[in-house]
Amino acid sequence: MDITESKINSATVLALSGRLDGLTSPTLEKKVDALLAAGTRQLVFDCGQLLYASSAGLRVFLASAKKLKSAGGQAAFAALTSPVHEVFELSGFTGVFKVESTAAAAAAAIA
Amino acid sequence: MSAPRQTITLRNDLAEITRLAEFVDAFCEPLEPTPKDVLSLHLALEEIVTNVINHGYADGQPHMFTVELAAAGRRVTVIVIDDAPAYDPLARAEVDITLPLEDRPIGGLGVHLVKKLMDSAHYERRDGRNILTLVRTLGAAT
Repeated sequence: MDITESKINSATVLALSGRLDGLTSPTLEKKVDALLAAGTRQLVFDCGQLLYASSAGLRVFLASAKKLKSAGGQAAFAALTSPVHEVFELSGFTGVFKVESTAAAAAAAIA
Repeated sequence: MSAPRQTITLRNDLAEITRLAEFVDAFCEPLEPTPKDVLSLHLALEEIVTNVINHGYADGQPHMFTVELAAAGRRVTVIVIDDAPAYDPLARAEVDITLPLEDRPIGGLGVHLVKKLMDSAHYERRDGRNILTLVRTLGAAT
């Protein structure tokens, strides 16, 4: 998995590509924790190139969103691929998270 | 048609997840699975195997365990066998996926996915081993 960081207005965007699984999810968790420590409160996960997310990945998404929320921030998700959308549906994530078709829309949704 | 039964031996190391995924792909390919079939098998197997690797062995020593895939027609059976202490991953309480963010527990999603994605999931402890059997019938070949 690769993580590319960028900004859209005040939101930090993490573009994820490849596989988010038990092996790679700790990398994302560390990245999010570092951003939180540095003051990030609006975080967009751009999943347009994310081909697979296992429960380990979902756990990091859920933990990140909870940490952001308790710090007064928010997370949003953009451009889910069909396999990632599938696990979001099965896990009830589409009900609790803001999911938008583009990173820009996701950033606007939590601005 | 590939051999209808194949076994892979894995170490208790998370790096093995990549090899497991390749094994699943290679086994399924001749069966012409749908993308959802492939995703479902990857998700379910990764969950069970990650559990074994992360929580099965507390002694910090290398251990080996096996994953067997067998096909009978479109019915794929997965059997994960390890010699770790007795643990039934299916016994975990069902997660409530309708809870709001602040009330949702972080864990338990993996087993939830296994149950959702497989037609059946069965655990037994036999001869000092954990034996987990998953079954999924693949969608019609195109």
